[in-house]
Amino acid sequence: MKTKTILQALGDFLNADRAAQLNELESVRKILRQLRTKERRLREQLAATPDPEEQQELSAELEVVHAQRLKGLERVAELRGERQSQRSSRARRSRSIS
Amino acid sequence: MAPRVLLVFALLLLSYAFWASPDFGEIAAGIALFLFGMVSLQAGFKAFSGGTLEAALRLSTNRLWKSIGFGFLTTTLAQSSTLISLITISFVSAEMITLAGGIGVIMGANLGTTTGAWLIAGLGLRVDIGAYAMPLLAFGVVAFLSPGRIPKGIGNLLLGIGFLFLGIHYMKQGFGALQAGVDLATLAVPGMAGVLLFTAIGMLITVIMQSSHATLLLVITALATGQVTYDNALALSIGANLGSAITTALGGLAANIGGKRLAVAHVLFNVTTAAVAVALFGQMSWAVDRLSSLARIAPHDYLLKLALFHTLFNLLGVLLFVPFVARLEHLLVRHVHFTVPPENQPRYLYPEALKTFETGVAAVHKEVGHLYDNAHGLIARGLSLDPSVINSEVPLGERVRATRRILPLDIDEAYEKEIKSLHGEILSFIGEMRGRNIPAPWMDQLLTLQGAGRDIVEAVKAMKHLHKNLSRYAASRHPVVREQYDAIRIQVAKLLREIRELRMQEPEAVASLSLDALKLALETFSRKLTDGITELISRQQISPQMATSMMNDESYACTIGEKLIDAVRVLLLSGDRSDRKVEEHLALDKTELGRIARGAGAPATQADAKEIHQ
Repeated sequence: MKTKTILQALGDFLNADRAAQLNELESVRKILRQLRTKERRLREQLAATPDPEEQQELSAELEVVHAQRLKGLERVAELRGERQSQRSSRARRSRSIS
Repeated sequence: MAPRVLLVFALLLLSYAFWASPDFGEIAAGIALFLFGMVSLQAGFKAFSGGTLEAALRLSTNRLWKSIGFGFLTTTLAQSSTLISLITISFVSAEMITLAGGIGVIMGANLGTTTGAWLIAGLGLRVDIGAYAMPLLAFGVVAFLSPGRIPKGIGNLLLGIGFLFLGIHYMKQGFGALQAGVDLATLAVPGMAGVLLFTAIGMLITVIMQSSHATLLLVITALATGQVTYDNALALSIGANLGSAITTALGGLAANIGGKRLAVAHVLFNVTTAAVAVALFGQMSWAVDRLSSLARIAPHDYLLKLALFHTLFNLLGVLLFVPFVARLEHLLVRHVHFTVPPENQPRYLYPEALKTFETGVAAVHKEVGHLYDNAHGLIARGLSLDPSVINSEVPLGERVRATRRILPLDIDEAYEKEIKSLHGEILSFIGEMRGRNIPAPWMDQLLTLQGAGRDIVEAVKAMKHLHKNLSRYAASRHPVVREQYDAIRIQVAKLLREIRELRMQEPEAVASLSLDALKLALETFSRKLTDGITELISRQQISPQMATSMMNDESYACTIGEKLIDAVRVLLLSGDRSDRKVEEHLALDKTELGRIARGAGAPATQADAKEIHQ
């Protein structure tokens, strides 16, 4: 392995921001999965209930979960974008060094 | 009372030692330096742990062998079973680890103390250890005076080891000089009487010095200079173990029920181990001789043989207890009780919780939960509903509509008794924690919990205002007025029930996010009620004064709901920092909820909608 590659790997390892970003990305994905399960459960309950008042409550709850999932997906896109831009700036830096 | 008597006794003993002989004085100074070294070593160890020790403790207690291993390893590193035992008690008290896990750590810690005996016997008394102390102390002071937590931690560690070495050196010298004038070995008592007497003496010395390590050092040094016989030294080491249980038991007294149970387990473990060691004293001495010859320890190397004896009887205790840990836990839970403090008294805020930042924050978290429970009961009664109705599945609408009269309640008195005093205790505990130079992540959590406590108090205060009009109008004969107040009561009662259900669920990340649906329901209720009141005025079905009262009460009901939701969100947030950050980010704000309440909450674009349904 080239010294430059090793140094880059070490830099990544020591970069606390990057580690925090990765952790956050993992957390968002985990919570999105939980929200999706919850959404599926609510839909099943909505289909099963005959009570109009309960139907209204379940629909409102579904809308909330839906909005939260949207925010989560936006955050995933943001985090991916940040990682992408970090990678490209690193690549530019290494090209200019060589 | 007991600690004061012991202190006076220790001071008198020391005064006598200094007066009677300068050699005794040298031994006493050696012990003092050794104890100070241990304090420095523990301070250094704590500076490096900074949450790591606590996190490891939580992760290492899901299996018994892991708990024992953890206790052994940390005690070996910190050279203090008392420190590890007291931290474990605070964790069990804060319900962060199980009682069985705690028992495992205590057993491991007992085994860990045996490494100290090996170090002192194998190394401490065989080389000129005082010479090593000097550079350690010099470098230690330089590091200690440097700015920053890490250099200070290193400084404490170096100073700790340096003072330990210096203490051993002085004790060696003291006993050496004493040998010329006095022969304490003439006071030796042979047979079982000697075993019992010296076990009691060893226990007493450990209780006074609060350290079984220091007792072992004293015993090993005395044995090295021939001031105590080998048999009596073995009995003294049994006593040292018993004494350390008493130190922990005293710490357990300041803890809650979990901590008390663990302290009882510690005493049981050490007393049983000591009883077995005393009963099988002859057999164990024989086993030590056999094992020593196998390990090529010279027959007259009593120091190493003492260390071996100490290890053997502690190991025997662990082997005896391991098969019965689950049963012991069951028995302790069944037989060790304490009276539940009244509702207005704190249940989790005890001095032991201040041992680590993590247990302190966990204790505050639990106590804010207790404050919420009190508020839940008070608000339910304020709505003229029995808390058991809220906590059941009885249809709330039916129960509220069936109300004929409002139950009498002195809400001001109930607030003072059930909320204000407990909130004051929480604030005082938080204040004490903040005075301990608490690191930023813990401080943030503490401040968030403080805010949750304040939200609960504000919710109860809003209930106080609402209660005035509820008492007047909730059982009104005017059907229109009655209908509006019924709606307010049902909404708040429903919210209390749903929050309770969320709090009872298995902890998961989306629990805190589920609160957004409750906020939305509150927002929808508020809009509906306000529209209804406006319509009633326009139809002249209620007076403008009545409308004002209704509007105010709608606002109080919403304040109760919002404040309770905000407080519970803090209680439901995940323990993982990264998850917590995401949960906070995904929670919907007022504008987003307003959009959904107005019926404009659909995804912004079709692409979004498509992606979310994938």
